Amino acid sequence: MGIEFRNVNKTYGDNCVVDDLSLTIDDGEFIVLLGPSGCGKTTTLRMLAGLESVTSGDISIDGERVNDVPTQHRDLAMVFQSYALYPHMTIAENIGYPLRVRKLDKPERAARVQRVAAMLEIETLLDRKPRQLSGGERQRVALARAIVREPRAYLMDEPLSNLDARLRVQMRGELKRLQHQLRTTTIYVTHDQAEAMTLASRVAVMKKGRLQQFDAPMNIYNHPVNRFVAEFVGSPSMNFIEGSQLTIGIRPEHIQVLSQPQDGAIPATVYVTEQMGNETFVFLTVGTNRLIARAPADFRAADESRVWITISKDKTHFFDPVSGEKRATDNTDWIRILSVSSAA
Amino acid sequence: MRTRTREKYQSANKLAHSKATALLRYVALVAALLFSLAPVYWMLTISLKTEVEQFASPPPWFVFTPTLEHYYDAFVARGFGDYLLTSAIVAVASTACALIIGTLAAYALARFELPWRLNRRLSLWILSTRMFPAIVTAVPLFLMMRDLRLLNTRASLIIVYTGFNLPFVVWMMRGFFADLPRDLEEAALVDGDSRLGALVRVVLPLVTPGLAATAVFCLIVSWNEFLFALVLTQTDAAMTLPVGIAGRVTQYEIKWGVMSAAASVAIIPILVFALSVQKYLVRGLSMGAVKG
Amino acid sequence: MQKSRRFFSALNKRELLLPALFLAPALAVLLALSIYPLIYSITISLQQETVAGITWGLGNFARLFSDNFFLTALGHTFIYAISALVCEFLLGLGLALLLNNQIRGRGVFRASLLIPMMLPSVVVGVVWRLMLNPNFGSINGTLKQIGINTESLTWTASPKLAMLSVIAVDVWQWTPFVFLVLLAGLQAIPQEPYEAALIDGSSRWQTFWHVTLPLLKPSILIVLLLRTMDLLRVFDQIFILTEGGPGFATETISLYIYRTAFRFFDFGYAAAMSFVLLALTNVISAIYIRLIQAEPN
Repeated sequence: MGIEFRNVNKTYGDNCVVDDLSLTIDDGEFIVLLGPSGCGKTTTLRMLAGLESVTSGDISIDGERVNDVPTQHRDLAMVFQSYALYPHMTIAENIGYPLRVRKLDKPERAARVQRVAAMLEIETLLDRKPRQLSGGERQRVALARAIVREPRAYLMDEPLSNLDARLRVQMRGELKRLQHQLRTTTIYVTHDQAEAMTLASRVAVMKKGRLQQFDAPMNIYNHPVNRFVAEFVGSPSMNFIEGSQLTIGIRPEHIQVLSQPQDGAIPATVYVTEQMGNETFVFLTVGTNRLIARAPADFRAADESRVWITISKDKTHFFDPVSGEKRATDNTDWIRILSVSSAA
Repeated sequence: MRTRTREKYQSANKLAHSKATALLRYVALVAALLFSLAPVYWMLTISLKTEVEQFASPPPWFVFTPTLEHYYDAFVARGFGDYLLTSAIVAVASTACALIIGTLAAYALARFELPWRLNRRLSLWILSTRMFPAIVTAVPLFLMMRDLRLLNTRASLIIVYTGFNLPFVVWMMRGFFADLPRDLEEAALVDGDSRLGALVRVVLPLVTPGLAATAVFCLIVSWNEFLFALVLTQTDAAMTLPVGIAGRVTQYEIKWGVMSAAASVAIIPILVFALSVQKYLVRGLSMGAVKG
Repeated sequence: MQKSRRFFSALNKRELLLPALFLAPALAVLLALSIYPLIYSITISLQQETVAGITWGLGNFARLFSDNFFLTALGHTFIYAISALVCEFLLGLGLALLLNNQIRGRGVFRASLLIPMMLPSVVVGVVWRLMLNPNFGSINGTLKQIGINTESLTWTASPKLAMLSVIAVDVWQWTPFVFLVLLAGLQAIPQEPYEAALIDGSSRWQTFWHVTLPLLKPSILIVLLLRTMDLLRVFDQIFILTEGGPGFATETISLYIYRTAFRFFDFGYAAAMSFVLLALTNVISAIYIRLIQAEPN
């Protein structure tokens, strides 16, 4: 059961947009497709919706191969980035549209529209037209239209990207809560790693049409399979120190900044500090390397002042400098790499 | 934002402008207006003047005794009433046909990916048929209609005008469809509607203004058309208003009042229509090439 | 994020059925009313009626080169098209530049300017016959009033002034169209280049030459294309105003084709001339389209 992509390819002419994608999604999961623009995540979603054809490979929903099933018979619901509300219909008509085309009778339709509207707190808007609504309200209507029936899955294409920052965080929470209530499989496309981390039961990170890693958010964060995933997830981004044999990755929170020298600590120079209120980002120069460290909110240091850093050894990541793939900790004394580069 | 910068630019500009430029602007405006409207006004006065006043010298522009005798003469005593009816029937019927056939084709071209790059090829081919000079097809169409025994029928004009308006409808509607966000149709499909259902319930309601403007343009073109009507109809049974008026012009003794009265009546629907599509005027007259 | 795709992609063969059904009626109508007539035209242009019956050959086309009426009509068509195009373009551009500003009553002004170009061409003919009539026309009447001798000003009846008159009528009717398209083009130009030019201290003339004109070029090309096509096939107004006369002083190709086909019933020769006109318009429009496509947008 659930949704399965098996060796799915999508090409436009010579341009390969999705490359040999295989993904199995269990029933009731909240999957986030995460990646930078042009990584093929939206195309993947649209292929699942039937809005794009599949060049090769199979997509199946609940065990049924749907490659040749037209969109309208796939029984999915989708929230578009633009919301795609029908401008000539009232909000009630918008929400009721999927029921209308399924020929439900009017009282039943009205009742279900009412119920969903109550759930999303938009009952007072039902008689209005989409253009009279604010961005956040439109977003709710788009959601309401998706959940008014019980589809096999919800597809969401960057649904929060047109909202302002505060509203985005609020809606993110509501979406998560909603999915917990409805327990319907959800596939959510975003380029925002924070949304992926907070919403997903599992995250599929994509790059240039290829699936990089498909795992629970915390595993993605703690055990990235390659440099791309490590860099894309987490903010501020992971630090990388390039050695000739090895690239070392260290997350900013795993660098401790000390104002006094300590045994085993490496000297560093403060480039600049950014106070975020609840914490401080310290931009450091260690030899030729630039590193960012997370420090407590009260940390203060002048530009160009000398500090010392220690690194949690068990929290470091190692990548092949050529392929970027994760490497198991090997015998290389990585501290020496850092020291050598800092001495340079 | 745009209008604000525009205003700012203009206020900056105003400082640089002398009053003379502003004056020149208004002079040009009034001159252009007089130049455009005076001839039409002159025809209206002729249609309302007695024959004595028509030939008066100097020509009376404003002061004369109006009479409706020429209108009575044209539309009651002579055949202009019939011509008017023919014009109306032909315009409405050909517009309806062109609109239905053309809108479907336009939707297919705007929204379906056809093999062999047909979207572009067919669109350009359709456009090119509109670019034929009318006289080029008038000769063979006359012979075809003669063979089909359709000369001097309203049907022949309806058929020819449908073909004439079709490329226009396809290009205009293709543009209006392309202006609609695709998301809406995709949303309709995901919501479970069929392609046809999405077209009827989502797309068509949203392009109604464009559809109406296109229809009005077709009505105007059909109403105004002269060459095909001249070639295909020579009897009162199927003569359109322009052909009827032209027939009076080329007669030996010209009834100026009757002619002006008929021409004035021919203008009325055009004025109403033209004002109703002002917003789309430039777009319509340029086959959708300029979205003014 | 590939969102710029324009089409529903066909998921399978069945999905092509709907667009095929949508396109079929339109293609059928156009084949019947444009392509078939053209083929029909080719066949009759290759036929000549002689005493011995119908013979096939290029006789009709050969005749073109020695037919003075045809060559004169061709010349008239060019004179008419070029003069009218130049006048309409310069006047239209001048007006558009002058009025590209918020002016009180602009809506009324626009609406009034629409009137000439929307009129049936037959009505345009009637209007100007009334204006230009040497006996009671308001032009001569007004000129007489201010003391100008109008005896020689017989306009459409004079071999010298007839061409000038029909060109003037076309300018009257179509300058507003050029004006409206160019005005739309001017207003679509973003303000930033102007502001930049203003800050850079460029003069009005420099701004016009280096900013306005290049940015307006696409609109200019389109309006010139549309006008040229119309001018080359002009028929209606001249037919009403002069019927190609006096003599043949204003006979353009379309009028000569009409006369050949429907006065002399020589359809074969008329068809042959039609192809010359078609070729001419095709070549000229191809040049314009090449220029338009060379534009960045």
